[in-house]
Amino acid sequence: MNRRQFLRVAALSALAGCSNASPGRGGSDGTDGDGTDGAGGSDGGNSGPTADAAKRDLAAQPTLGPPVGEASGLIVAFEDPSCTRCRAFDQTVFPKIRSNLVETGRATFAFRGYPVVYEWGDPASHALEATYARDADAFWALVGHYFDNQGSFRGKPAEDVYAQTQSFLSSDTDLDAAAVVSEARGDAAASAVQTDLDAGMAAGAGRTTPHLFLFRDGEFQTKAAGSVSYETIEAVLQV
Amino acid sequence: MSPRLPTRRADWRLLARTVRLVLSIPVYAVLSVVAAVLALSVFVFSQNIPLVSFALTGSIPLDARLTILLERYPFLGTDFGTLTGLALLAVAGLTGVDIAMVTYHVREHGLSVEQGGGSAVGVVLGVLGAGCAACGSAILVGVLSLVGATGLLTALPLEGLEFSLLAAVVLVLSLYWLADGMRGGRINGCPVDIGR
Repeated sequence: MNRRQFLRVAALSALAGCSNASPGRGGSDGTDGDGTDGAGGSDGGNSGPTADAAKRDLAAQPTLGPPVGEASGLIVAFEDPSCTRCRAFDQTVFPKIRSNLVETGRATFAFRGYPVVYEWGDPASHALEATYARDADAFWALVGHYFDNQGSFRGKPAEDVYAQTQSFLSSDTDLDAAAVVSEARGDAAASAVQTDLDAGMAAGAGRTTPHLFLFRDGEFQTKAAGSVSYETIEAVLQV
Repeated sequence: MSPRLPTRRADWRLLARTVRLVLSIPVYAVLSVVAAVLALSVFVFSQNIPLVSFALTGSIPLDARLTILLERYPFLGTDFGTLTGLALLAVAGLTGVDIAMVTYHVREHGLSVEQGGGSAVGVVLGVLGAGCAACGSAILVGVLSLVGATGLLTALPLEGLEFSLLAAVVLVLSLYWLADGMRGGRINGCPVDIGR
């Protein structure tokens, strides 16, 4: 292979090979309606009306800190339990948000399950919704459990995800774990997950997680994709 | 004769010596650093264009603007993990050296356009490889969505780091071909010559 051939192969291999791949989760479940947004804010990034979709049904979402609307800052985080950058965000950035912004009353943090990465994130998100419906503290514990143990879930079918979830809820919470998992398989949890997916897609989160939508005094400031630092969030919010 | 792949120890020695000689000229050393910083900026800013746009145009103090911009870089912020950050720095550094070599070759020896192609391919792959592709590396998701193949990203064992590694390979080969093209010449008064 000479230089010209090599360069041609290198430039095209990613795309040519990809076109034969089977569609991802988004492609098969109908949630891959955006995808292009992540290419750098094709929606303009700072366009308020679109980004406000991130706040849809926010009252029904798990939040920390002052009630929505009371604190100057609002962070709406679309996260996938199976996403490794979400894990990094949860383990390194979220604790600072919690202690410096949420617990001081300067901002409200809202979590929206957004399963667009690995398959197991979908049943996990269903389980999170079913758990939150019963107990908020157990919900946050389960979020941490998923992030802390991604390796044991990756590649597992939904049944295994539910089984491991039930095991955790049984041992670490007071919930009726079997009932929670049963509800996770039901329509209510599916509807709740779909609400988050619809909100994220409408807001322009695309298929990138974590995706943060940052508001100050009710006004959308900007969105941030990936495991952005606490300093970044603080600089944007100015609260 | 078509340029070949570096397979012998002498090929790598030629590459190292040529790079060292070109970068011993201050203007090309500076150029390589500037090009590397620019390349790295393209890689990291492309992952968060709305945020970068907000830093430049939003109603926030100057120090907040600088914070938002600086936090985008590997190891200054938390956008990238250790491996991805190292890969980004390596690709950016190689891009800088490659651009300095191309510029030197163009100015001193004349160079056909196609010989600079490695730099362009390396930069494109560097952008694609920035971030966690599986979690939605922004540019890569956008590109793959055009061919309906976003699901492929979750099948990559290194979560998209593959693109950065490919970029590094392309850039190293580009450097070798540039060095091979300078074989027999002189750089900064020193002979490049190392036997084939």
